[in-house]
Amino acid sequence: MTAWKETVGGRRALTILRSRPFLTVAIVAGVWIAASFTSRGFGSYGHLRYLVELAAVIGLVAAGQTFVVIAGGIDLSVAAIVTVSAVSLPLLSWQADPTGLTAVLAVLALTTTIGLVNGLGVALLRVHPMIMTLAMATFLQGLLIIIAGGSAVTAENPLVRWLGNARPAGIPAGVLLWVAVSVIVLAAMHATSFGARLFAMGANPLAATLSGVPVASTTLAVYGISGFTSGLAGVLVLGMNGQGYVGIGDPYLLASIAAVVLGGTSILGGLGTYAGTIPGAILLVTITALITVVNASPGWRSILFGSLILGLLLLSGREQARR
Amino acid sequence: MARAPLLAAREVSKSFFGNPVLRDVSIALQPGRVHALLGENGAGKSTLINLLSGALRPDGGAIEVDGRPVSRMTPACAQQAGIAVVQQELSLTASLSIAENIGLGAYPRRFGLLDYPELAVRARAACDLVGLHEPLSMPVGHLSLGRRQMVEIAKALYRRPRVLILDEPTSSLSATETKVLTELLETLRGEGIAILYISHRLNEVMALCQHVTILKDGTCTADRSLEGTDAAGLVRLMVGRDPGDLFPHWQPSASAANAISVRNFSAGLMRDVDLDIRTGEVLGIGGLVGQGQEDLLLGLYGAMAARTASATVNGASGLPSGVPKANALGLAYVPADRKREGLHLIHSIITNMMLPAFARLPALKLRSRHAERETARGLAAQLGIKGDLDRPAQALSGGNQQKVALAKWMPHDPLVLLLNDPTRGVDVETKREIYMMLRNFAATGKAVVLLSSDTPELVHLCDRVAVVREGRIVAMLERGALSEEAIVSAAMGAEQRKVAA
Repeated sequence: MTAWKETVGGRRALTILRSRPFLTVAIVAGVWIAASFTSRGFGSYGHLRYLVELAAVIGLVAAGQTFVVIAGGIDLSVAAIVTVSAVSLPLLSWQADPTGLTAVLAVLALTTTIGLVNGLGVALLRVHPMIMTLAMATFLQGLLIIIAGGSAVTAENPLVRWLGNARPAGIPAGVLLWVAVSVIVLAAMHATSFGARLFAMGANPLAATLSGVPVASTTLAVYGISGFTSGLAGVLVLGMNGQGYVGIGDPYLLASIAAVVLGGTSILGGLGTYAGTIPGAILLVTITALITVVNASPGWRSILFGSLILGLLLLSGREQARR
Repeated sequence: MARAPLLAAREVSKSFFGNPVLRDVSIALQPGRVHALLGENGAGKSTLINLLSGALRPDGGAIEVDGRPVSRMTPACAQQAGIAVVQQELSLTASLSIAENIGLGAYPRRFGLLDYPELAVRARAACDLVGLHEPLSMPVGHLSLGRRQMVEIAKALYRRPRVLILDEPTSSLSATETKVLTELLETLRGEGIAILYISHRLNEVMALCQHVTILKDGTCTADRSLEGTDAAGLVRLMVGRDPGDLFPHWQPSASAANAISVRNFSAGLMRDVDLDIRTGEVLGIGGLVGQGQEDLLLGLYGAMAARTASATVNGASGLPSGVPKANALGLAYVPADRKREGLHLIHSIITNMMLPAFARLPALKLRSRHAERETARGLAAQLGIKGDLDRPAQALSGGNQQKVALAKWMPHDPLVLLLNDPTRGVDVETKREIYMMLRNFAATGKAVVLLSSDTPELVHLCDRVAVVREGRIVAMLERGALSEEAIVSAAMGAEQRKVAA
């Protein structure tokens, strides 16, 4: 009866069915189906497409976060970096380049550098990742207030506007960008020796060091990647929003960490996959949308959001005991 | 009339996930007797201890305290019955002080608050028994592995046990500490305490114990008095066949060429060491535990800051600046604490075996899962690691974990193998295999540096032994001059002079 479980394909299928990413996908599907029946218009293609588009921003921020968390760290500066990207891009009006590509590349170089500085602090100065990235976030926020003040800045960049609004073949450009990034991230994580080093560092940094893993340069790289993907998310959110302002990135700190953990990645490092973070991001956006449907004040919405995330984590994301 | 045993197991059985680990095993711990429990890794010793101490419940059979069966043995019950266990895996908290660790879970209280003066008095009494003279306020993390083991024993004594279970207490102890422990156990035995003693060192067992229970593959193969047995007989009962020689036949294979040569080398505790490591030799590093031997290996391996006047490592001048550089120069290091330093317990055996490869391949080179599996299968076959390689490393027994920690370097064909106590807590059969590997390794012209706390191992396996005391090499014993006495006396030289003066 259960012979199919004994075959190679059967066992592989079972492994996938029991995996955390699949569980998260199942929860998303369940919530979508249930919500479509109860809430008019929720299940429409346009609405779901909109949800995925929103999830793309979280997904991009969480891509870097997944790298950092798997390698045993945490990046609390992602929200500030998103804001840096979204605010500084409009300030860089590169008249010489009609496509706007140069300005985007310059901003990405800037955010990657910020990430690398995080990495330097963690790897070489041995500052705890939480302290290092939190200090960086505070520093950046101060800098942004000085530079941009309280006013919103409007983006005149054609590439950014295209990214935020274009829909080639009916699919939002931001979602396409997310898909491309996801493919690269998954390949780097699971198909390269760089990826294997991350898991080793996260699971046991001492054993990784003694096995010859270049821990310092790898740490530098993960925080650099996190800076880069946060910068990319900032560009996308600027395009979708049209304007950048101080605080635009704030929701993405908790969201990125929650997406990572909801997707089954261990917050202690060493175990996990971006394949779980992707549905994790979509699940978060879905919850936000459902809460918006409930007619409640912003305070209650926030309370509901926090409680729901906690509840979901209790349901699926508790750390298994490990030595 | 026979007295009722203080603690006994009657025909207990236990299986994990359908695999029987113990089948109808009985053991009776009598007061005033040191009872040895022998068996290879995976024979079921740890499971039996866990049943006796209430950490696990038997599937069949019964645990008896003072001759009365206990229906639901729990760790709390065991503690109440005066059963104390010294675990092989140290259970201390590094950031707490010695006294706090000793009292943990049984703190004396006054007015609902922790009574530190009382704790200090009682902890001091326990420490004096085991010869721990470090200040009680010192964090345990500052102690060497051997001293931590003594704290662990003091912690058990603090609870004034009637039954003391010791799981490989001497595996990280120096010769002096072992002697203190031996005398202590004799005293406790005289006071009528029942002691269960687990060790892989048969000479200790022969000297200390009166009765022996031997487990093999989960069944009891002997339950008898130790009188009239010899070590070879015990090994035969453990492995189920004639032991043969534990150590391979020694043949000179050293050449005149140096693999590593350092002058005025200092790292950690080590000061101004001159050392030449020849290709094709097994160089032993001996001495009391914690004299700086580990720092010597780590310094050579680039894992610890080191200074040197001049150094040549496999033809390159200067010490490696980091571990990746050391690996590139053909150095490999197998750490002593395999769970903490050697392995990624939550990752699969394959991943563990392939890690050095991941570390040295170009970062963005694509992996081939198929090739990794093939390599890992080859290594597993070569070293006799059985079972599914997709299991996490923590599923393996101690001996097999050590094999994985060794195996991961084999594909890189290292020129110098730096080993930090590779046979600690490893069963006889695995020890023999490791010894064989090391000699073969030397015979193919590689250099092996063997840091060991097991003196017979140094005597029988090494071409030369450097004895370290207080951060210096105080003696370099050549093969002809090697004996346990020579190593121990060199290791304790200072203490002997003090006595003489």
